[in-house]
Parts: sequence; structure tokens; C-alpha cells
Amino acid sequence: MNGPVTSGSGQVPVLECIGIERRFGGLVAVSGVDLRLEKGEIFGLVGPNGSGKTTLTNAITGFYPPQKGKILLGGRDITGTAPHKVAGMGVARTFQNLALFNGMSVLDNILLGRHIHMNPGVIRTALYWWLARPQEIANREVVEEVIDFLQLESIRHEMVDGIPIGLKKRVELARALVAEPHLLILDEPMAGMNQEEKEYMARFILDARAERGVSVLLIEHHMDVIIGICDRMLALNYGEMIASGIPREVIKNPRVIEAYIGGAHAE
Amino acid sequence: MFYGLSGVRHNSYVSDSKLFPVPADRNAVVFFLLLGLAAPYLVSSLYLNSYILPWLIWTAAVLGLNLVTGWAGQLHLGYAAVMAVGAYSAVHAAKFGIPWEFALLIGGLASSVIGSLFAFAALRTKGLYLALTTLAMQFVMDWVLTHSPTIAGGSHASLQSPTFALLGQDITSDAGLYYVAFGWCVLVTIFMLNLRRTGLGRALVAVREKDFAAAILGVNSFYYKLVAFAASSFIAGVSGAILVSTFYFLAAPEQFAVNVSIQVLAMVIVGGLGSILGSYLGAALILLMPGVVNQLFSLGANLLGLDLGIETLAHIPNAAYGALIVIFLMVEPLGLGKLYANVRDYLMVWPFDQLKK
Repeated sequence: MNGPVTSGSGQVPVLECIGIERRFGGLVAVSGVDLRLEKGEIFGLVGPNGSGKTTLTNAITGFYPPQKGKILLGGRDITGTAPHKVAGMGVARTFQNLALFNGMSVLDNILLGRHIHMNPGVIRTALYWWLARPQEIANREVVEEVIDFLQLESIRHEMVDGIPIGLKKRVELARALVAEPHLLILDEPMAGMNQEEKEYMARFILDARAERGVSVLLIEHHMDVIIGICDRMLALNYGEMIASGIPREVIKNPRVIEAYIGGAHAE
Repeated sequence: MFYGLSGVRHNSYVSDSKLFPVPADRNAVVFFLLLGLAAPYLVSSLYLNSYILPWLIWTAAVLGLNLVTGWAGQLHLGYAAVMAVGAYSAVHAAKFGIPWEFALLIGGLASSVIGSLFAFAALRTKGLYLALTTLAMQFVMDWVLTHSPTIAGGSHASLQSPTFALLGQDITSDAGLYYVAFGWCVLVTIFMLNLRRTGLGRALVAVREKDFAAAILGVNSFYYKLVAFAASSFIAGVSGAILVSTFYFLAAPEQFAVNVSIQVLAMVIVGGLGSILGSYLGAALILLMPGVVNQLFSLGANLLGLDLGIETLAHIPNAAYGALIVIFLMVEPLGLGKLYANVRDYLMVWPFDQLKK
């Protein structure tokens, strides 16, 4: 892999989480988590179910602000900022259980990803031919580039409810990419995919970094994918950091093996 | 069959974003538009001004409510109150000597301001709680109208609407008044059609479908719900003002009472949430059906020689009309608009039927 491997370079990191803690009542979902994501990096986040990966993502994107700790985006403190504002600052994400809008076409779903660049309103809609159409067309062109990039041409006018799950995941990635984010958070983009679909998705993530300059925070259970495409990674268990570093080394860590496979196999 | 996309090729994004991509749809729209323009010459003025004119104004109002309930997904039980604000402000403005063009605008803006102020408070609740809060708005407005003679127009609570005029020209003829209603309805319809292909429409649907997913795309759901209420209140206000100035000719509180709110909501639901054609059909069904059912029953009673009492004759049609709504909604919960869409979808893929669900 030719991405940056070392951490702690002089550049301002794309994302920095310092001592994040999030509790739900008495349950500590995440505690004392530090994370530093450099520009152009693909950063893996792994851990067994319930280890706090999604909670950490939700803390970063503003859904569940952390009770302790700080989140810096490009050096700017965004702790506790509302999700729609975080989106406006260049963070895009996909969801573990898909969050596409049923009843809309694939194209309309992806166009929604352009929302932060469009600022739509009533006057603009009322005077469609003069105010909205030039803007709609300009944004359609950006969307078509991504449709081309992710090979979604043949289904752009299909209703999103009717397409297979592998394509739905791809549409969601397209919707996140058209926002032209600095930071892309992918929550299990390969869940439920077969080997071929996984390879496609991995290739798209690598291409997105190379061609569109995004930094990626990737949550995945497929270790082959993490080892294959991530520059660095962080493993969580019961909301705490158990290992971080270069994937090939992290997966040899006995605590990671124990958390994932179980103590008896940890030798 | 005759609905089809064979031979339709798009070679620009402009042509791909046409309102009616299917040629058959486009022809139908042109046909009905011409029919609407020619209506004063085809229909007797009794039918024109006592059926078609109110139907068109109510359709415009229903489209406004559909913006909030169908697109943004927020239940609104105080829509008639918002229409009342527009109607009363416009009539008062016109009485004050302001030309009707501006009086209508004032009515719309007044509704928009009061509707959004109310929504600003009400939108802190969701779902059924929001519905109840909007119902409260209706009762507040009813109370204001019955307790403030200056607004409602003296102790009789009736406010005479000044003669309608546009561009300094008094409009008193039946055809003239009809064209005012027709023009407004067409304007609102065009706005709603454009809503389907702009960012605003997409953002509203996003807020309705999954607000967390909308948020992560940068859509501020509170703001867009507020925008929906403001725009829909504007449409309600102008529709209310036109209703009073071209149909009722005087404003009275009971024209905008709580049962009217329920009736408009019924038009939206029977027609189909989020359906433009459905708004026309829903308004037609709810407005015209009672009369039609009534006539059918008295005709049937006459034919069979049954001597039905006048009270029975008054009540049976109501029951039949209620049953009709239940049947329509059981057959197609998404309303009359969807019934048409089903036929259209079937014909689109004819001779196959894989779209039939």
C-alpha cells in the first residue's frame, strides 16, 4: 500500500478524538478512546459486536455527543455540534443498516448528497426555470461523475427499494461521495456481501481515496479487508482501546485475538 | 400500450428532468388545461361557479396541505385556521383600499407568518402530539374570530368582501371569477410539480422518511419542516382569500371551523399523500360526492316508489358517503392518485405485468 503509514506527522490530522467517553445511563459504551486520522489515510476500526464502534461514529457525527473528551475536525473543535452542521463541515457517512430513502429513485437519493452544496428554498422552487434549473443541472453533472465512477448508470432511474443490497450499499457510498467530503465514515460497507461484491467495494474505497482525496474511517468485521486496504487501525472491546497500529501487527495482538475469537484459542 | 417510453430519448439533463416524460401524460395535461380554459364556454354558469370554481380553489388549498402532510410528513389539523387568517387579512386589506393583487399577497404573507410562528412552537413535538397542537391552533383561531368583532366584522360576525378586481379592472362576471380560481390553481400546481424535481422537494421527503439520514446529509429537519409550514400556510392564505372573494363573497367564522380542517385533511388522504393528481381527485370526491349520492338516493327512492322520510333521505347519503371513503381507502390506502398510478404503471409495461404488486 502506498498511503501514509506513520502517524504523528507535522500536518493537522483530518480527525482527532481525545479521550472520548459516552455513557447511556449506567452503560459505558465508549471510554477513553483516542484516535488520530491523518490526511489521505484509510483507518480501520474493529471490535466485536457492542464494542462501541458505532457509538464512536455517532459521537463524531454529532448524534450522541460524548460526555467527556474532545473531537477535532481538521483542528477545529466540533464536540457536540449538530449532525446537519457536521455534514456541512465535510463529513459524510454511510450506515450499518442502510439509510436510503425508499420511494425515491437512485438518482434522487444520490442528488440528496449534494444538499449542502445547493441550499434549496421555496423561491428557487417557485421560479424553477430561472433559479433552480441551472443549479439542478450543475449538481446533476457532479452526481453523474460519481454514478460513472461507481458504475451505477443502468439503475439510476430505478426505485431504490427494488435494487439488491449490494447495489444499495454502493448507492449509499455514492450519496456520501457526491458531498465531496474530507472525511468519509463507512459503517460496515461490506456487511452481507459476497466475495466479489467485497472486492468491488474495497476497490471503490481505494479509488475514492486516490481520485477524490478523501480520508476514510472504515468500520469492518472482515479482517481480510482491513488488512488489505487500511493503513492503520484501532481495535475496541467493551468500549475501550485494546490495540492500535499497523493492521498486520494489531491482529497478532493476543488481546485482539481473545476479543474476536475467544480466550481458549489465544494460546 | 399508449402509455410508453418507446422512442423517448434524452440527450441532455434538461430533457431528462421534464415534468412529464411520458408523451401520453403530456397530452393529457395539455388536454385538461385547454378544457379548463374553455370551461366557461362549455359549462353553464351555474355549474361553473357553484361546482368547478370552488373545486379548483379547494384543490389549491389541498395541494398546500399536501406539502406539509404528504411531502414533509407532518399531520396538520389546523389548516382551515390558517386559511381564515389569509381570508380575513386580505378582505380587511381590500376594504382598506389596497388593490386586490396586494391584498391577496398580504393575506398569504399574514398566514405564512402566523402559521410559521405557530409551527415554530408546535414542531418541538412530533406525530400525534404535533397533530393535537395544530388542533389547538384551530381552536384558538375559532375563539379569536368569535370574540373579536373588529376582525370578524361586527356583532353578526360576517364580513362583506369588496368587489374583486385585478389590474384596476372589476371582476364580476362568472367567467372572470372562474379564471381567477383557475389561474391560482394552475400556479399552485406548477409549484408542486416543480417541487418533485428540486432540492427542496427531496429534502422534505428525506425529513419525512428518515430524519437521522437527512441530518447526516446536512438537512436541518427542523428548518425544513418550518419551511414546509411557511410555504403551505402561504398557499392556504391566498386560497382562503380567493375562496371568500370569488365564491362566498362574505367571510364568516364557520367557513373556517374545525370541521373544515378535517374535511381538507380528508381530501388529502382520500386523494393520496404526496400526489398532485390525487389532490384534484380528493377535493372532487369530498366536495361533489355528497350531492351526487344524495341525488342518486332520491332518484332511486322515486323509481322504487319508496316513501322515504325527509330525514332518512338526509342521513342515508351521509352514511353511504362515509362507506365510500372507507372502501376507497381499503382498496388503495395511498389514495385515488395511486389508483390512477397503478393503471398507468400496468399500461407502461404492457403486455407484461411484472410491475403489478
